[in-house]
Amino acid sequence: MSAVTEFLAPRSVEEAVAILGADGDAVPIGGATALSPMIREGLLVPSRLVWLGRVPEWGAIAAGSTGVRIAAGATLADIAASATIRRLLPALAAAAGVAANPRVRAVATIGGHLAHADPRQDLTPVLLSAGAVCVVAGPSGERRVPLDELLVGFYETSLLAGEVITAVEVPADTVFRQVYARFNPASEDDYPTIGIAVQLELEPDGTVAGARLAAGGCAGRATLLEHTAAAIRQLPATDIDLAAVETAAANEIPVIGDHRGTERYKRLVAGVWARRAVAAAIAGGGPLLGRYPVV
Amino acid sequence: MKIALTLNGEQASADVEGDSQVLDVLREQFGLTGTKEGCGVGVCGACSVLVDGNPVSSCLYLAGMADGAEVWTVEGLAAKDPDLIEAFVECEGMQCGICTPGQVVAAAALRRHNPDPTEEEIRTWMSGNLCRCTGYGTIVEAVKRYVGRD
Amino acid sequence: MTATRGAARLDARDKATGATRYVADLSLPGQLHVAVVRSPLPHAEIEAVDVSSALAAPGVVGVFTADDIGAPLFGRRVRDAPVLAVGKVRYVGEPVAAVVADTRRHAERAATLVDVAYRELPVVASAAEATAPEAPMVHDAPWDYPGAVVGPGDGPNLQSVVRRGDEDLTAEALRSAPVVVDALYTTPAGHQGYLEPQGCVARVGSDGLVEVWINNKSPYRLVGQLAASLGLEPDRIVVHPVPIGGDFGGKGSPMAAPLCVALSRLTGRPCRLVLRYSEDLTSTNPRHPTTMRVRLGADRDGHLLALRFDSLADGGAYAAFKPIASVNLHGVLEAGSPYRIPHRYIESRIAYTTTVPKGHARAPGAPQATFAVESAMDELAGRLGIDPVELRRRNVLGDGDPNPDGVVWIEARGREVLDAAVAALTPRPVPLGWQHGWGISLYDRATAPGQTSLRLLDDPDGGGVVAEVPIPETGTGNHTVVREGLARLLGLGRDRVRVVHVPTSDLPGDAGVGGSRVTASLSEAVERAAAAWAARTGSEPVVVSLGEAGGAERVTSFSAQIAQVAVDPETGQVRVLEIVSAVDVADIVNPAAHRMQIDGGAAMGFGFALLEDLKIEGGQVGAGNLGDFRMPTAHDLPALTTVLVTGGRGVGALNVKQIGELTNVPTAAAIANAVAAATGARIRSIPLTAEAVLSAMGAPE
Repeated sequence: MSAVTEFLAPRSVEEAVAILGADGDAVPIGGATALSPMIREGLLVPSRLVWLGRVPEWGAIAAGSTGVRIAAGATLADIAASATIRRLLPALAAAAGVAANPRVRAVATIGGHLAHADPRQDLTPVLLSAGAVCVVAGPSGERRVPLDELLVGFYETSLLAGEVITAVEVPADTVFRQVYARFNPASEDDYPTIGIAVQLELEPDGTVAGARLAAGGCAGRATLLEHTAAAIRQLPATDIDLAAVETAAANEIPVIGDHRGTERYKRLVAGVWARRAVAAAIAGGGPLLGRYPVV
Repeated sequence: MKIALTLNGEQASADVEGDSQVLDVLREQFGLTGTKEGCGVGVCGACSVLVDGNPVSSCLYLAGMADGAEVWTVEGLAAKDPDLIEAFVECEGMQCGICTPGQVVAAAALRRHNPDPTEEEIRTWMSGNLCRCTGYGTIVEAVKRYVGRD
Repeated sequence: MTATRGAARLDARDKATGATRYVADLSLPGQLHVAVVRSPLPHAEIEAVDVSSALAAPGVVGVFTADDIGAPLFGRRVRDAPVLAVGKVRYVGEPVAAVVADTRRHAERAATLVDVAYRELPVVASAAEATAPEAPMVHDAPWDYPGAVVGPGDGPNLQSVVRRGDEDLTAEALRSAPVVVDALYTTPAGHQGYLEPQGCVARVGSDGLVEVWINNKSPYRLVGQLAASLGLEPDRIVVHPVPIGGDFGGKGSPMAAPLCVALSRLTGRPCRLVLRYSEDLTSTNPRHPTTMRVRLGADRDGHLLALRFDSLADGGAYAAFKPIASVNLHGVLEAGSPYRIPHRYIESRIAYTTTVPKGHARAPGAPQATFAVESAMDELAGRLGIDPVELRRRNVLGDGDPNPDGVVWIEARGREVLDAAVAALTPRPVPLGWQHGWGISLYDRATAPGQTSLRLLDDPDGGGVVAEVPIPETGTGNHTVVREGLARLLGLGRDRVRVVHVPTSDLPGDAGVGGSRVTASLSEAVERAAAAWAARTGSEPVVVSLGEAGGAERVTSFSAQIAQVAVDPETGQVRVLEIVSAVDVADIVNPAAHRMQIDGGAAMGFGFALLEDLKIEGGQVGAGNLGDFRMPTAHDLPALTTVLVTGGRGVGALNVKQIGELTNVPTAAAIANAVAAATGARIRSIPLTAEAVLSAMGAPE
């Protein structure tokens, strides 16, 4: 066991990658909110902590012609507050605004969020439904990894040794309709039992030109619901059979039971919330479902 | 490693380990024991401090990340902003007091982010700070008083 | 009285600014830090402990096991808990060895290097397993422990068994009752949820004087417990005053004190142990998980005829954390107390298991028993076709009625609180498609006397009076009660009464915080002291010492709660819209503190009903941090509406009634009854999850 952990704050991604490439026990950190308790408990004793927060433009959020580029160091609070994201990716802003608590949101970064790959996270299903791609830097250069390929399983990604996420590119258009349904029936401040993200693209005549659904909180990783989405594509929105959406999502979703619900229950409520989320997207309401007003 | 920071408005420096958290540096090196250790996992909010104007859980925040930062603890905020303390004292927004410094810091952070919050916004923001004693009513009233909403 | 806001709380400013120093904030010259090596297994023999790597780690002063400290046992009533495990471990988290080092960090890191070899033994995971025939014994001869209240004939693995009432007459009454509800109710293990972890600093001087700083709410009792455990003279032990960062029943046990004293004796330096919260959640003294069978019989008009209440609680690995003489849970032994019940029989068993030892939690046993009985009352109402409020009105004690124990209270205001709760109810808006319902629950709790003492002396700093008190401030405002009472009775301004919590060496004694008795006990002490102060002729201090303060009259207080809920029929999600608490009060010393006891109690009852569960499975606590053990947040709570049913007859010159344990008790049944009213689904097990509700809705009664 290494007795001393070194803290490094490189000023460039190249420098960070060089450190990480040379030392397999070095750990990159965004805000360290997930790793810090493990460090505190002695469960994780890295040789080096490589904090990327000093890299210039590390938290930048910028709209381009086809979407939004979010630098990996943007915090959840940055994302929730960004006018660009609120306009172009409203469900992402909403999810970032309700995840965890204000203290974690102020520090946790989108890059760390995705690299940590906790299946209960809120942003991941929204980003999956939006078709996000991660920009990854590593010892052998830069590559672009669709989020669906980045996620492998429980706290596991396809990132290679020495690689860090540097940005997330999210296709976005104001014609997309985004909804995130966060179902956490016990406490508003708990992880979701299930989270369902929907993105619909409607033609002017009401036809669903594009549909993507994703679910979090269900199994080892957040997952796209391809079959459910395929069943609504190219239909006029008014013809969508919402009961069929519910059944399809419940059947398709991969689920592992945990303390927040058995497999059977999670499957059932995933269907209910998929139906409600699609209905809300068609209706064009607000981007967040499942939160109830303070009474 | 050496870190330099602005702590409660004054220049300060500390020698810390690479995996030290701000909470321990504040309590053990600066003797600022107003910042309390509760859950140790960023959930309860007892260890809240402001870093560059943002509320953070100091039990999670690595000391190295605070190098060059402006850090305010409950002690500094109390000295700088007497209205903040008066609001909690007048509304009796505490019982055992272990969560109270964190509630005070959270209230200060809320006013920075949202100078005129509704009750719903107050409750939602303050939901990051647990209190087992009070049922939150007097704490919410203290925050309302502080932001001029009562 | 001017208003609820009067800057009345004497500790408010120091708490708000962070100036109040709790045990974790203390630093003694030369102090060493302790980290505990804990068992990863629920039940095992310790074959070998290798401390060599830990001893060689930076900053380590020593690593100690039971062999080094003489294998002492400790306990509040039964002395069965080893300070460090002796030969065996009996729960995950049990202390096996202690590392002492120059810093906390060094101690904790070295603790990970202690290598313990175990041989696993059979797990006794629940009270049901423990009491089954042929169950493995958690202790070979539990009856041999000092203070044990069980014998070999009581059956396997029992910490305590109490039988109360006439079994035969109750059975006969139930046999002949026209309507009987017979149902099983279960409640989980739950942590008290104080946010300040348990901690202790102990210093043993070269002269043998033992000094302890600890967040323990019964310091005079602790002196006796330490003396018994470590073979010390009580008059050579001083427990110093420390404010407590939340109690809720959990801060009354010796906890780290025997270990820190033993380590200080070995090292010759002050030794400090403050638990990490994850340790506190998994290895202190949470609420007993309880399974209760209720048999409740009534005539066709809804008059109760008999109650048989069988409770089996999981006491965990040691009985050491229960303080009362029966080593049982008083709340269970008082099941059905608000009502006239001609025949009641209670059997309460508490079993040893290989899980974390259980202790007291706000109104020990009462939230469990009240959940069961008050749910059964609604089930009975349903069977009889009588309105649940009316059923309670027909049976609740009135003035002059004996309760099931034969006690006649000086007044019985159950009907008043029931009516006040109902009058305060206004239906709230419900989300579209959700089902609405409300439910009621009733509780009463006596004001019990307790030992206390108080000293008044002239304040050298300015002409007022100093009141020395023996009892820690746990947050309820008890020091403020003393100041307020003395200011009133002596006709002084508040600023001329200074309240000082003093070491145990300075006052005759005190029973500690608990049993909702503190305001009553202290107010009687204050009354006596004020009278003596007024009558004194010189400037000598006044000392009062009372063996039984604050309960000369037979006073009980009632509380009725109504929960109003909305249920999503598609997911089973329950939103509690409002909790109305109608409470029976006399005079109120500090309105803000009184209100917080009510609101905080309702919030705790809400958490007990819907959220909180340590999820102990296979001997292991599943909820290992506060992210997993959910407690209610400011956003989670419903509207908390309080109706003070004033005009009650309380205790002493301040005319007070207890409040601290009135509103956390009835909540779970009120919510379960509301869910049943909304959906037809009867949930007999808490926490009441959305999944359980949906499942019960699919399979109606």
